[in-house]
Amino acid sequence: MATAPQGFRFGNFVGSLIWLILWIIIIVSLIALPLIFVILFYVPLPPVNGDVLTPYLFLSMMVDPTRTLPIVHFIIHTELFRIAVFPGFSFAALMAAVTIFVERKFLAKMQLRVGPLYCGKVEGILQLLADGLKLVSKEIIIPSGSDKPIFWTAPIAYVATAAAVVALIPAAPGWVGANIDVGLIAVFAILGFFPLIALLFSWASNSKYPFIGGLRALHQMIAFEIPFFLSALSVVLLAGSLNLTDIAEAQQPYWFIFFLPISAFVFFISSLAELERIPFDLPEAESEIVAGWLTETSGMIYGLIQLGSYVKVYALSALFVILFLGGWAGPQIFPKELMPSANATTAPPLLQLLTLQGVFNGVTVSAIFWFAIKTFGIIMIMLFIRGINPRIRIDILLHTGWYKLIVLTFINMFIALALIYGGILGPGGLLTAH
Amino acid sequence: MAKNVEPEIEDDLNKKLAIQIVKESEDDRLMRLSVGPQHPGSGHFRFTVTVDGDYIVHCDPDPGYVHRGEEKMCEYRNFIQNIPHLERPVIHDSSNIIYSYSLAVEQLVGIEVPRRGQFIRALASELDRQIYTLYWLAIYGIFLGHSTMFMWPTADRELFIDLMDALTGARVTHAFNIPGGVRNDIPDGFKDKCLRNIAYFEKRLKEYEDIFYNNPLFRQRTEGVGILTKDDAINLGVTGSVLRASGVPYDVRKAEPYDVYNEMDFKVQYMKSGDSFARSYVPFLDMKESCHIMRQLLDKMPDSGEVRAKLQPNPKGAPGEAYRRVESGRGALGYYIVSDGTPKPYRVKISVGSFRNMIALPHLLVGSKLADMPSVYWSLNYWPVEADR
Amino acid sequence: MTSEPKEKPIESSTTQSSPSSTQPAKPATQPAKPATQPAKQEPESPPFEKEIVSQILSHFGNDKIKVSYIRPLRIKISVDPSNIVEVATFIRDNLGLDHAEAVSGTDYPKDGQIEVIYQLGSYSRDDMEGHIFSLATRTNRDDARLPTLINVYKSAEYHERETFEMLGVYFEGHPRNERFILPEDWADLPPLRKEFRIRGR
Repeated sequence: MATAPQGFRFGNFVGSLIWLILWIIIIVSLIALPLIFVILFYVPLPPVNGDVLTPYLFLSMMVDPTRTLPIVHFIIHTELFRIAVFPGFSFAALMAAVTIFVERKFLAKMQLRVGPLYCGKVEGILQLLADGLKLVSKEIIIPSGSDKPIFWTAPIAYVATAAAVVALIPAAPGWVGANIDVGLIAVFAILGFFPLIALLFSWASNSKYPFIGGLRALHQMIAFEIPFFLSALSVVLLAGSLNLTDIAEAQQPYWFIFFLPISAFVFFISSLAELERIPFDLPEAESEIVAGWLTETSGMIYGLIQLGSYVKVYALSALFVILFLGGWAGPQIFPKELMPSANATTAPPLLQLLTLQGVFNGVTVSAIFWFAIKTFGIIMIMLFIRGINPRIRIDILLHTGWYKLIVLTFINMFIALALIYGGILGPGGLLTAH
Repeated sequence: MAKNVEPEIEDDLNKKLAIQIVKESEDDRLMRLSVGPQHPGSGHFRFTVTVDGDYIVHCDPDPGYVHRGEEKMCEYRNFIQNIPHLERPVIHDSSNIIYSYSLAVEQLVGIEVPRRGQFIRALASELDRQIYTLYWLAIYGIFLGHSTMFMWPTADRELFIDLMDALTGARVTHAFNIPGGVRNDIPDGFKDKCLRNIAYFEKRLKEYEDIFYNNPLFRQRTEGVGILTKDDAINLGVTGSVLRASGVPYDVRKAEPYDVYNEMDFKVQYMKSGDSFARSYVPFLDMKESCHIMRQLLDKMPDSGEVRAKLQPNPKGAPGEAYRRVESGRGALGYYIVSDGTPKPYRVKISVGSFRNMIALPHLLVGSKLADMPSVYWSLNYWPVEADR
Repeated sequence: MTSEPKEKPIESSTTQSSPSSTQPAKPATQPAKPATQPAKQEPESPPFEKEIVSQILSHFGNDKIKVSYIRPLRIKISVDPSNIVEVATFIRDNLGLDHAEAVSGTDYPKDGQIEVIYQLGSYSRDDMEGHIFSLATRTNRDDARLPTLINVYKSAEYHERETFEMLGVYFEGHPRNERFILPEDWADLPPLRKEFRIRGR
């Protein structure tokens, strides 16, 4: 089974890349730069250091590190940056986009196919962009008997709730959108909105198949919230805090998955059920109820819900990593010499440049790197499970959620209590982080 | 609960409306869903189910979406002209649906097929059986949400479609079997390619078993679902793999051997449990058996000889009637042809396995859950286009 | 009045005997060979099938059953509409033919009749595995009514419904004589009747 397109010639490929670069150079130099100069010419700029701020001075200012780096430094440490860019919504959306693309390619390779191939020069990398543009440009069809306010607000609420969960998840020590003391409970409280949104949206669609799908979504998500919460509870017992950053820090010596494997397993299965991923995608069971509660979505509404779904995938995988896999714990990938020290300004200039005068923190980068790798690993496991399983049936699902998983979480909670009582973990224990 | 009762509708409007357009019932508990022709879970077939919560209380099949009047069209064309349109009910299993027709016409016109032609005919029939069963298995996978099981059989089907392409010149609707034999001889190198493909396919069948049939989720969803007992199967007159999955080892190739099948050594695969799992597993066993038969056919084929008997132009059938049948992918496919001495048949009646299996659908669905509907429906080996003819 | 045209049949090597069905009012006829056939014909019917037919004939008598032909693996008898239910019940109980494989209706406008044939098969009896037993009956074209056999053979339910819509034969006792394959708004003749012409031909 072929995995390269017919008629692929490497020379043509290199030629097209060079063509691309040529066009970029032409456009930038002939259009973009003159436009910038024209604008800067007409906009009155304040004098700086006794010099008139000409365009040339502005450009040279932009590339001078001593001027721009403090600005960058300042921006990075604002709240807005943390919420909107990293580790907030943009980072989550980026991970979601990467997840979607990798899912399509990975699933395709498992199924003897190629996946997206033609959009974008290298193995269909721009496919997501094409799909996004397509969804944006489609007509949104609203069924006539539907409840229009809810029909419009439910997808937005879906994405917003998913983003709210992301805002609570720390990606590196000190990098979290909202550092709440009861972060874990807040996550579960926000996750409790999703069944409500699914049900409201399916009811507002005013059609039979979405109705069945919405009911199934409600049953499924509610059934799995309890094992979800209980399995996280054993982590809280060992860590002694509900704050997500503290939980991640408490795993410095040993990750909790070694002590709580059953809880990790239950948490993973419950998160698959919360995310409506195969094998738990009953609310969207294509062959039985057309598209479940998403039947009446079209265009950007569908796009928003897909985005929300995959942002949730990232959020719950990240939560798994923080609770069980030690968050960002991992060997430092930067040498000690690049660590920020007390006298940063007396460090050699090359180091100053490399770390961009302290903007670039070796500890943070290493933390982000390990966090991303682990999250992505969990996402890959979720994708793999998708490829090999059929869909489950609702009564088997409910039976599993209400009987078997809750029992397993209780078992693990007793293990956790035993560990604390035995003095291995918990306050003053042998293996606690200090 | 297992009674196929139409929910009560007391309204004069119902009497005024045309047949089959019924006003919705006023009962809040019951909801009527139309699993219609435009549905990702039904093919070109419509059936309505009435659900009470998650349980189906009534099911009413409504075929006819792709009815093209094959039987009527046959009366306007002569015996050879009938072949292209008669293939269309099952385009990828076309050798079998024409095989039965050819046997009946040969009986009426009175010609004898040469031996090499008989072997090639049987080989084409077995290849088409594989092509159809693999496609059926792929759709079964996707009905249960298993997208990998959709992709793998569709990919492996290409092995056999390539072979048929080399043999007949077309990927589907081969128009290869004709009354009198086959249209052309097998090309050079076909035998080796066929044996290679069969060997590769048998290895793939083991992988299907691992990923699909031994998957605990699949087993949970199909075992014990939609049980068709042996007596019910016989009374309802179902055929093919549905019948064999309920414990009746009936195969037309063994019961009424046609052409060279009485020289072939194969077993009739059957299972006794009669649930959806058995109905999905029997075609798999049939595919393995089919590979075995294909090897024997290639082995025992005479090296040379004619492949078709010469027909006069516009062959006339003797006045009389003939009923011949073959075992196709869905079951016994029979043709009842009445001829009145003219080149055109007087009446052609096609008895297809899908139409006969349709009667089991309301019988099995009533009382089962809505989520079992795809697994029961498609396990009945129902090909909508063929049932509508 | 028979249904054969006056042409000379082609010489055949398979066993043939022309079917002849007569009006129910006339006495029974045996399988008749056209006088123009060459002498190379099957001399007699196969013994197993003959034995089956004689079982039926001995139970019902020659005036109720007309044997159309007896060939290897294919038997056809023709009965009156009024007797068909009991004949079918007898066949099901005593001969082991337990399902109907097809129900085909043929329109014979020259006789003014429609012939409905139930092709019956056996799953439970091993020695009747490959047999197809055709149970035929005739009814007038103008007021085509037949008693339903679904109480005897449940498998004939959808086939009878299809025969109703395609040929206009009303099956008394069938719960749903309705459109099945044809669209609900079909307002033309039943399509398989000979006066229904396909457009353009």
